[in-house]
Amino acid sequence: MINTGISTGKKTVIGIADMKLAQHGETLITYALGSCIGICFFDPKIKLAALVHIMLPLNMEAGRKNPMKYADTGIRETLKAMEARGALRARITAKAAGGAKMFETAGGDSLGNIGQRNIESVHMILKMERIRLIAEDLGGSVARTLLFDSVTGEATIRSYGRPDTII
Amino acid sequence: MKNYDELSVMEIDVLREIGSIGTGNAAGALSKLLGRTVKITLPEVRIMGYNEAIDWIGGPEPITTGILVRISGQINGLMLDVQPLDFVNLILECMLGETINDYQEMTELQSSALMEIGNIMISTFINALSDLAGISVELTVPSLVIDMQGAILAVPMAEFGGQTDYLMTIGGNFSCDNREVSCRLLLSPDIRSLNFLLGKLGVD
Repeated sequence: MINTGISTGKKTVIGIADMKLAQHGETLITYALGSCIGICFFDPKIKLAALVHIMLPLNMEAGRKNPMKYADTGIRETLKAMEARGALRARITAKAAGGAKMFETAGGDSLGNIGQRNIESVHMILKMERIRLIAEDLGGSVARTLLFDSVTGEATIRSYGRPDTII
Repeated sequence: MKNYDELSVMEIDVLREIGSIGTGNAAGALSKLLGRTVKITLPEVRIMGYNEAIDWIGGPEPITTGILVRISGQINGLMLDVQPLDFVNLILECMLGETINDYQEMTELQSSALMEIGNIMISTFINALSDLAGISVELTVPSLVIDMQGAILAVPMAEFGGQTDYLMTIGGNFSCDNREVSCRLLLSPDIRSLNFLLGKLGVD
């Protein structure tokens, strides 16, 4: 089935350290991003969308069993999966949300920096892969639920105590 | 070194006992503070995949209060006190004679009362644990956040995410005047500390 350009209203949920593709008008959704980052990819020509929910900046695991947990392997695996479905790098754009610091901790220990390190890694990997990051809602201290419309390429961010934003 | 998902039944029993003693002491401290009968219901040790853990806490988006303390010294880890609205109102009613309908109504005084309660429960738990194992640990100043519970639970996941695909929590639930309250006290040690702790307790 090809994308008809009409949103079906169907929701596909992406868990933590998970990625899914959509090409049939579904909305991709990932909940409660804290220091984690959700990255939406879109090829507007073939209307192929992807959403990956990463937790950490760099994959240094020996076995690399769980590539979607990390920004570097997560982004690269997602791009590979999109290309396998006919997407072209030159057309793919990205949007990202998350990377918050949930708790203010004394002494600026590593705990508070995971969000920031994730942001830096996502920026760096996208640049290395030559993917244009066209919009972002990153950092701060609020959790974000991210909805990505696979028809329009629009990303909606839902947070507690602030109005929804569309990027 | 054993990862969380490689523990034996006996090791899990020992950890459950820690949870029982720690939570029991925390319940005692809370009981004194509130002037009510606070008991623990079921101490539990859980080793869960990330998304399983989110389901267990009751879904990603509900808003809750989280109080976080970092443990360092002979063991390293995080301890979280998750206080849903029913528990928050129990505390506020006992301590300040007031309740709230929504977290957005919460005042500065109310949130510092909750943070203090969380801090006392966590410190009491950790003191019981360090006495039991004969170890010394330090705790950071607590930090409080009110936000989606999925993002709060993801803090210990991300902290140890480079070592494991699982979240381990040792903790329990409470009842107050025979009514169950949904407060959760969750200890997440890193893998080295978990193994050290089991060794100290004679089960490695």
